[in-house]
Amino acid sequence: MRWGLPLALLVVLFPLFDMIYWIAVRALPTFTWATLTTDQVGLGGGLYAMIVGSFTLLGLATGFAAAVGIAAGMYTAEYAPPSIARWARVAGNLLAGIPAIVLGYFGYYALVLYTHWGYTTLAGGLTLGVFMVPFVYRTADLAFANVPSEQREAALAMGARPGQYLVRVALPIALPAILSGVFLAMAIGLGETAPLIYTAGWSSTPVAGLFQPTSFLTGAIWNFYDYPSTEGSFQALAFQAAFLLLILVIGLNVVVQVVAERYRRRTRGMMA
Amino acid sequence: MTPAHVGSPDGPEPILSVRHLSVHAPNRRILDDVSLDFYDREVAAIIGPSGCGKTTLVRSLNRMTEVAPGIRIEGSVRYRGEEIYDPRVNPVLVRQRIGMVFQRPVPFPLSIYENVAFGLRLQGVEEEEVDRTVRRSLEQAGLWKELDGDVERSGLTLSGGQQQRLCIARALAVKPRVLLLDEPAASLDPTATQRIEELIFDLRKEYAVIIVTHNMQQAARIANRTAFLYQGRLIEYSDTHQLFENPREKLTESYVTGRFG
Repeated sequence: MRWGLPLALLVVLFPLFDMIYWIAVRALPTFTWATLTTDQVGLGGGLYAMIVGSFTLLGLATGFAAAVGIAAGMYTAEYAPPSIARWARVAGNLLAGIPAIVLGYFGYYALVLYTHWGYTTLAGGLTLGVFMVPFVYRTADLAFANVPSEQREAALAMGARPGQYLVRVALPIALPAILSGVFLAMAIGLGETAPLIYTAGWSSTPVAGLFQPTSFLTGAIWNFYDYPSTEGSFQALAFQAAFLLLILVIGLNVVVQVVAERYRRRTRGMMA
Repeated sequence: MTPAHVGSPDGPEPILSVRHLSVHAPNRRILDDVSLDFYDREVAAIIGPSGCGKTTLVRSLNRMTEVAPGIRIEGSVRYRGEEIYDPRVNPVLVRQRIGMVFQRPVPFPLSIYENVAFGLRLQGVEEEEVDRTVRRSLEQAGLWKELDGDVERSGLTLSGGQQQRLCIARALAVKPRVLLLDEPAASLDPTATQRIEELIFDLRKEYAVIIVTHNMQQAARIANRTAFLYQGRLIEYSDTHQLFENPREKLTESYVTGRFG
């Protein structure tokens, strides 16, 4: 026992540090400013188109997931009859557990083939958004449900209609928790590959429109990693994309922590 | 002190008139055929042991009982002759005229100023009027001077007693005629409690105040009339002095002399 527990912790943490090291030594030697600012050219070049593509897809997906997830969470916590709310929470958890590749295939079928759009940025963004929705939905539902019921009673006793209570009292209280859910969903979505490979297509130049295909950072790893290293710098590009993704995801997780801490501080006086 | 004139034909018109009010939860009856009148510019106290229905009674006076699911209400509550349970009556308007302050202070997570302005903003009152009313309400609640006019900080930064007076100021801002107070001092220390009691004493110059309390001394100190509830039924309602000194009912006497509680 004495050594077993710390050893288990070491086994948990070792892959994280090993992976960071492993990626950094392969990415950093060739990582320059130009890596971030030039397009993919032939078998080499930079990540510019993929960075723009990733953020465009993430922006579309976040917009979709936040709008739908927050509204659905608000409905579940405040309006839905208890039986529907219980069922919706189970369904939300199920959706969060669906393998991303299955969702990717669903996106391919529904948004690429059925719509006759072909591979498009919009199809990729929406599929990624569907993947992210349950994370926003669950935190939004929880955040609204956690608003102390006295706040609701006090607002209604002041002559507020339920909608006015939601917008003026519940939303400001719940917002930091909801935001941390949105950032968490962004961190997860940014690192996803499967919802995009069948939907967003690929393009070596920056995204030209919603109905044009686009490249994305995780796609660089998916597409370039197994190229023989003798051909151009494709493999280096894959590691550079991986390194950049690590930095961005860690950054987003720090934001989640900061926002969550702010939430705790803000509601402290309320639960007294 | 005026003599008790509960429902007497020669007394002044009651501001709130409760008749045969019964409230049912899914598997028990909380209030059983309660009838009593409340008058303007008076303090009425409702006392009784825990679970006797005191809170349900006051919550039924501004239609807050129905906020909880599964509650069934029978009987009549008239505000200045108008039935508040008439299906055509908007509960929102009832709650604006009959304000309520809860057992635990519940400031909204807004500034002190915006807390008091809350009800006015819901009604779309003009900015200048909001400004005047917020200040006057905070003065009435004895907070304006105490805070030195610093009303931009969060209402959550105030002490418990100040928070409760903030909630009273917030309720006063929408100019109600009746103020319902549900054990407003239950979570406060003696000093803060005394301030609240002084405030209630002042408020009765302008409002009908109905206060639920488990503290009989408090009822004796501030109320003109006192109602004693037991197991959902109104046992006795009379002039406070009479109820405490010379109760008509045996049950009341046992309760006020502390033989059960």
